[in-house]
Amino acid sequence: MFALSGYEYLLGFLILCSLVPALALSASKVLRPSNRGPERRTTYESGMEPVGGAWIQFNIRYYMFALVFVVFDVETVFLYPWAVAFHKLGVLGFVEALIFIAILIVGLVYAWRKGALEWS
Amino acid sequence: MNLAEGIRFVCTILLSVMMIGAALGVVLFENIVYSAFTLAGVFMSIAGLYILLNADFVSAAQVLVYVGAVNVLILFAIMLVNKREDFKPVPRRWVRKGSAALVCAGVFALLATMVVKTSWPTDLSLVPPVSAVELIGEHFFSDYLLPFEIASILLLMALVGAIVIARRESIVGEETALVGETPPPVLELPERPREPVA
Repeated sequence: MFALSGYEYLLGFLILCSLVPALALSASKVLRPSNRGPERRTTYESGMEPVGGAWIQFNIRYYMFALVFVVFDVETVFLYPWAVAFHKLGVLGFVEALIFIAILIVGLVYAWRKGALEWS
Repeated sequence: MNLAEGIRFVCTILLSVMMIGAALGVVLFENIVYSAFTLAGVFMSIAGLYILLNADFVSAAQVLVYVGAVNVLILFAIMLVNKREDFKPVPRRWVRKGSAALVCAGVFALLATMVVKTSWPTDLSLVPPVSAVELIGEHFFSDYLLPFEIASILLLMALVGAIVIARRESIVGEETALVGETPPPVLELPERPREPVA
């Protein structure tokens, strides 16, 4: 009755996703020159010298981005059924979803105007 | 047991083992950041169990809301308050362990009685023949349109409220700095200077 039909692609993605890091790491292990200097143990920071520890208190600014992200993430949950049932809903459903998005754009504009997305 | 049931059984066992392992990681890791990441593993395993139970929309919502939103907020909260605090442990080891065990056993007993006492619907005729996501979408845009639109207003209120509260925090930080106490770490989110409307 139920053999996870329709989830073949998900399974394929899962296998592919788990293969990518394994392949990337093993390929670099094969290709890289072996060097045992002390430089090798430092963190790679885009060519910069890493300064200080990584376990620091982050700036509160990041939290605003997280909040804005969370709201639009929850919006995605509401838009997902709309996207799946799109072909049955017609123009009216499209307009209704546009209203839904427009109300949330107001929040984005508010965040923008208040400087929550600024990085001065 | 045919092939479908076998696959389902193996998947359930795998996901349950993953979930229990990750949950143990949440509790046992000393580093709270590792706990937060293993919590994401717990949420993902629960999403997999939802898929096995044919609840694909709940599973998608689980991934989006719990892994995407809740866990990200937890990680951000940890990153923002990631200070080494040297709390004094409560003296006497058995008091600590005993009280923790008591609370955990109480929660477990509560949940276990709930699971046993609830009469779960096992009637398979209740399962909709088409995809649940599609049904939810159709209901959203016909008879549940108003709640759907109100949800967007609720999200808008949440966003605006979060910004207002986060900025008020910053004002409090500035005031304490003015008084001349020890200045707090960078907490300000200053209001952008308004350009005069031409």
